[in-house]
This record gives sequence, C-alpha cells and structure tokens, in this order.
Amino acid sequence: MEKSRNGNQITGTSLSRRRLLQASAGGAMAAGTSRFSFPSYARAQDANPLNDIFGPGGVEGGEGVSIQGGMNLAMTGQGAFFGDVMSKGALLAAEQIGAAGGPAITITINDHQSGETPPSVNGVRKLISQNKISFLQTSYGAPSEALIPILQQNKVLTFNGGGASPKQLFQDYLWMTRMVFAYDPTPGALNWLAENHPEAKRLATIGTLENGVEALEQLAPKIWPEYSDGGEIVIKEIHDVGLTDFSQVIARVKSSTPDAIFTVSFGNDLGYMVKQFREAAVDIPIVGIEFTQDAQTIAGELYDTFVFATDYYDTTNPNPWNLEFVKAHQEKYDKDPEYYGANYYEQVFMIWDLMRRVLAEDGDPLSGEALQQAMIQNPVFKSVYGGDAETVGEMSFDPEAHTVSKPMGVFAVKGGKPELLQQIPTELVPPTEKPA
Amino acid sequence: MAVGWTNPSNRPSFVSERRSWDESRARVIDIQLVTQLLVSGIVIGSRYALVAVSFGIIYSTTQIFHLAHAGTYTIAAYAAVVIANMLGAPLWLALLVGLLAAVLFGALMELGMYRPMRRRSATKLAMFLASLGLSIVISSVVQIIFGPQNLSLQRVPNATYFVGNVTITSLNIAEIVVGWTAIALLLLFLRKTQYGRAINAVRTNPQVAMAVGISVDGIYLLVMAIGSLLVGMSALLFLMGNVAFPTMGLAPILVGFIAVFLGGTENVLGAALGGFALGLATSLSGIWLAGDFASVVVFGILFIVLVFRPQGLLGRAAV
Repeated sequence: MEKSRNGNQITGTSLSRRRLLQASAGGAMAAGTSRFSFPSYARAQDANPLNDIFGPGGVEGGEGVSIQGGMNLAMTGQGAFFGDVMSKGALLAAEQIGAAGGPAITITINDHQSGETPPSVNGVRKLISQNKISFLQTSYGAPSEALIPILQQNKVLTFNGGGASPKQLFQDYLWMTRMVFAYDPTPGALNWLAENHPEAKRLATIGTLENGVEALEQLAPKIWPEYSDGGEIVIKEIHDVGLTDFSQVIARVKSSTPDAIFTVSFGNDLGYMVKQFREAAVDIPIVGIEFTQDAQTIAGELYDTFVFATDYYDTTNPNPWNLEFVKAHQEKYDKDPEYYGANYYEQVFMIWDLMRRVLAEDGDPLSGEALQQAMIQNPVFKSVYGGDAETVGEMSFDPEAHTVSKPMGVFAVKGGKPELLQQIPTELVPPTEKPA
Repeated sequence: MAVGWTNPSNRPSFVSERRSWDESRARVIDIQLVTQLLVSGIVIGSRYALVAVSFGIIYSTTQIFHLAHAGTYTIAAYAAVVIANMLGAPLWLALLVGLLAAVLFGALMELGMYRPMRRRSATKLAMFLASLGLSIVISSVVQIIFGPQNLSLQRVPNATYFVGNVTITSLNIAEIVVGWTAIALLLLFLRKTQYGRAINAVRTNPQVAMAVGISVDGIYLLVMAIGSLLVGMSALLFLMGNVAFPTMGLAPILVGFIAVFLGGTENVLGAALGGFALGLATSLSGIWLAGDFASVVVFGILFIVLVFRPQGLLGRAAV
C-alpha cells in the first residue's frame, strides 16, 4: 500500500492507461512544484466533488501543509452523545479535505467530561503547548467561557458550534458557528407559542445554569408579557444538568398552574422532562430550543408533543454540499449526521477556506492570527444549511460580535422526527449587545 | 387525561390563591404541591432504599466500599437491552437475563478481584481503589462497545393514575412494591434462615464466625450475589421507564452509599430507612427549594448526620 502525504492509506491497483496518463500529467505538475504524491493529487483533482464546491486542491488548496487542530468536547459523562457526533463530523471533514487535495489536518480531542471546567482548561492548555494547535473546536458554555484568556493569549482561532452563549460573544479569537444557544431562538419560540396558543398567559420556564441562563432570566420575562398580551412568568425552575427524575420540578410547575412551558434545557434532560411531564398528565404545550435523537429515544412517542425552535440542520436539504456530507457520513458511520455533527463538520471546512485565503496572500496558514484576520476580512462561508438543489448554502459572521447568521425555524416532532412549522423571521432575532 | 389548566374553571378548588413563587414564601401551604411531592418522595425513597440495601448488605458484611456496584447496575441494564433489542427476546426473559448478568458479575468481582486481594492482605483502601477503577473501566468499556447513545427497551406500558390532581404511574408503583418486597424478603432471609444467620455472624465478627465453621469467603460471595441481584432489580426498574447509558450506575450508587451512612452501616434496615428518608427529604425540599438544590439537600443531610450522629440514624455509637 502507498501512503499519501497526509497519512491516508491508498490501496494499490493495477496500472491502467488512464492512470498512466493521469500520473504523467500529475507528475509534470509535481515536478514543477517540487511536491510528490501526484497519483492521489491527480485522482483528487479529477474525482472529488468537493473541489467543485471549494476549489482545487494542490498548492493553492494547502496540500503538503500539516495543521494541528484541537477539539474540546464531552467525550464522557452525560453529554458523551454530543462529543461523539461532533467528533465524527470534524474527523470526516479532515479526511475529506485531505482527499480533496487540501492540507493534512490532524485533530486531537480533549475531554471536558460533559462540561467540567478544570479538564477543559487543563486539556486545552496541553493541546496548545504540546500539540501546537492552530485552531480549536470547543463545545458547551461554561468550559468554553473559561478558555477565553488562554485562547486570546495564544491566538488560537476557536469555534463553538454547540454551547454558544452571550458571554462568548465579542471575544477575540472565539467565534460562534451556531445561533446563540437559547437566546436567539427564544423570541421565535415564544412568538409561535403566543400566536398558536393565544389562551396561554401563564408561562412556566425551566432550564439549567450551564447555558441559556440569559434567555431564561432576562429575555423571556421581558418579551413574554408583550407577545402574550399581558401574560406572566409564573415559575422559573432551575435543575441540575443530567437530571433523570423530574418529579420535583413537575410538582412545582404543576402547582403554579401554568398554561404553557418554555424550556432551555438541553440534551437528554429534555427527553426525561417531556416524557415525565406527559406521564404526569401535563398536556399543556412544551416549547424548547433543541432536538436530539438521544432525547427522542428517551421520550419515545411522547416526544411527538414537543415543539422546539432552533437553527435546525436538515439532512434532506438538497444543497449539493449537504448531499455529499450526508452520503459520506452514512458511508463512514452508517448513520445520518445530525445538528451538532454538521456544525463541527462545517468548522473544519471553514479552516480550509481560511487557509486558502491566507495562502493566496502568501501568509502563514498555521497562524491563528492570520486565519482570524482572513475571517474578519471576509466573514462569509459555505454552509450545509440553507441553499437549494443548485446552490450551496452560505453563513455569514458578524466580525465584531463573532456571531453567525443561520436560518432558524420552529419545529414540531412528528413520528420522532422534526417537521418545520414556520421559519423564524430575522426581525425576531434579538440584537447582539456587547456586555458591559 | 389532562386536568386542563388551560381552562381556569377546571382548576381544582384547593389550589392556593397564590400564583407565583416570587410572592411570599410558604405563607400558604399548597396542598397539591405537598401531596404530589410526598407521593414522588415515596417513589424516590423506595428507589433509594433498594439501592442502599444492595450496597449496604455488601458493605456491612465485607467492609468493602464496593463502588464497582455501579458497573453491576450498568451491566444489568445493558444485558437486558441486548437480549430484548438485539435478540428480540420477550421482556420477561430480558429482565431475567439482566438479573442473572448482575449476579454473575457480582460473583465474578468477588472471586476475581476481592478474594485474591484479601488473600494477599490488601488494605481496605486498596480494595476501594480497585473498585473505583473497575467502575470507571466498566462505564468506558460499555461506551466503547455500545456507544454513548441511549438505548431503550421495547416500549413498556406505563399508565398514569390520578388521585385528584396528584399523579403516579404504574412503573412508580412497581418501584415501591418490588423494592419493599425485595427488602422485606431480604430481612426475613437474614433473620429466619441458616444462611441469613451466618451472614449476621460474619457481619458481627468474621473471625469468630470462621472459628465456628462458617465459610467467610462463601458468605462474602453470597452477599455479593444478593447485593448484585438487588441493584440489578433497581437498574431494570429504571430501565423500564427510561434508557440505558454508560454512566447510568454512578449517580444511584453514590446515593446508595450516602443512604447507608445516613441509616447506619451496621444493618440492612438502617440502610433501607436511610435511603427512604433521603428520597423523601429530597422530594419534600421542593416545597421551599428549586430543583437545583436537590444535591445540596442530599449532601447537607449527610453532613448533618455525620457531624451529630456519625453512627447513622439506626446505628449504635462506638464505645
């Protein structure tokens, strides 16, 4: 077997006329550029649909460059599902980029143990000092917020496509690649609730202290009375992340006799919560801000009563890049990608795009500072969200707030799968305010 | 099924006039809230009691902090899921296999880990560390084999019953009935059977028990099997209403451990009552405290008991 420069193994095949011609053409170019491994280069140039979308590989695509990336994920504990899908997305992207004639991207994963700050900080320090990472993909709110000084000191370009929180905005080197968790979709969620359940005035809110706190404590109480024409928040319940028994929460919520429930809880907690509310015969609307298949497994058919608002990823989106992504994910992992996997997959392609731009300016593609500068100069990137059958979607970043704009919608769970009820108009997205 | 709070005229008349928790605290007791929390507390208390007894019988007899008990919990659940989901077996068989897997795993830990360590005069601390390490290894191996995703059993029916606005499900009732039946049978076993008396003898003084011909190793194996059976029951009761996941055993065993110390480490009844009291207190704290205070309540109670009554509620003071 031969190895390409990015470490991927290529099985040997018999030499056909076509391959001889390809190899000769590739060899001529390689000789001119002092780079070898032209068989894989030639094959990538000819066969890879990602090159049609992102541009050619080779020198301008960063082939021959090795870049170290890090991930800071929940690989163990209650949130291990998130780490699993996120890492799968990123590793697939790295593999595809290498095959498309891009740089060799090596990703090392740190486990923050489902949101613990000390392993997050210690692990990322190690990634920076020992692995010399140029970029980081982080997740969750609190463990990412704790990294801000380290990332800025070491100029590591960092993306968070999971627990994007207001405290992470306007931070140098830290960029959100999803709408701000809970905060951005809250107006859309509550507006849908008020429009579709005008009788609902008394709202119960439920969440955790890990993320979504601002939505629960500041935004919802401010906008619900207006949207519901005089409604009020009758109870705000905070629970521990990872709770499996919601009986106490349910009892307290029941006693406040709400007409609807709005929750910013996430992950498996949502599955247990919705299931147990319905088993307690609480049939009022429950609206949240997230959907995961794992939560649906917990609640089963009872999850078909749940509505949520988010920048939801749709596997059936006919966007050409999305089709390639879904196909590759199914081939490699034997399952469809889901929301968080898509976000972290996109992030690695953003890095490739940024490296191209830096290389085009004869800059250092391994420099976090150069990569961020390229991002600020042109904050538009291709996306697996949006687009249509002819065009790849796009996402654009606010160069000051470091937030992203992606389409959001309100969805109902039907038959265990999300179904779009309505798009959330952009005027309902709350303005991004710089913290004092 | 719903009470229909969206229609104000359907609201039960005994609901307090107060409408918001931000108003004065607990001036008027919400009867519905207290009753629901009491019912939930009995369910949670029964759940904790079963786990506490499963941990307590092992600890009180062998003096081992058997944290790998969390692994037994997990293995019972996953064994049931494998049999039911992957082999298509009926629910009763899956549950039976789950219990068997728990017992076998417990026995294996005694034969393969604790007994050899005892023979080599390992300290209790060493056994605790080995047990801790094994519990982490088990959850990691389970995650590697099955992945971090949740796995559920075939849909287990779970009807909801009402008493006014207070609700309880059929699985909740099963937890109470199965849990206390198992505890009662264990207490009878310990008091009325030859093996039970042998366990009590070893618990009281293993050297004297050995001197009168009781096989201490055999008793240790027996209590490990019994404790594993009980924790397997607890795991399967949880699984029937929820899902299996790799770290599912850690939280219940931690609670069981706390409950044993709360009730007294010397006897099974103490462990049961400690677990029940802990569950009830945790639930009833919801009259005044929000849900995120639950762990504060649990450890707060433990702290208070350890400071003022270190032998536990039913334990005897050291002389």
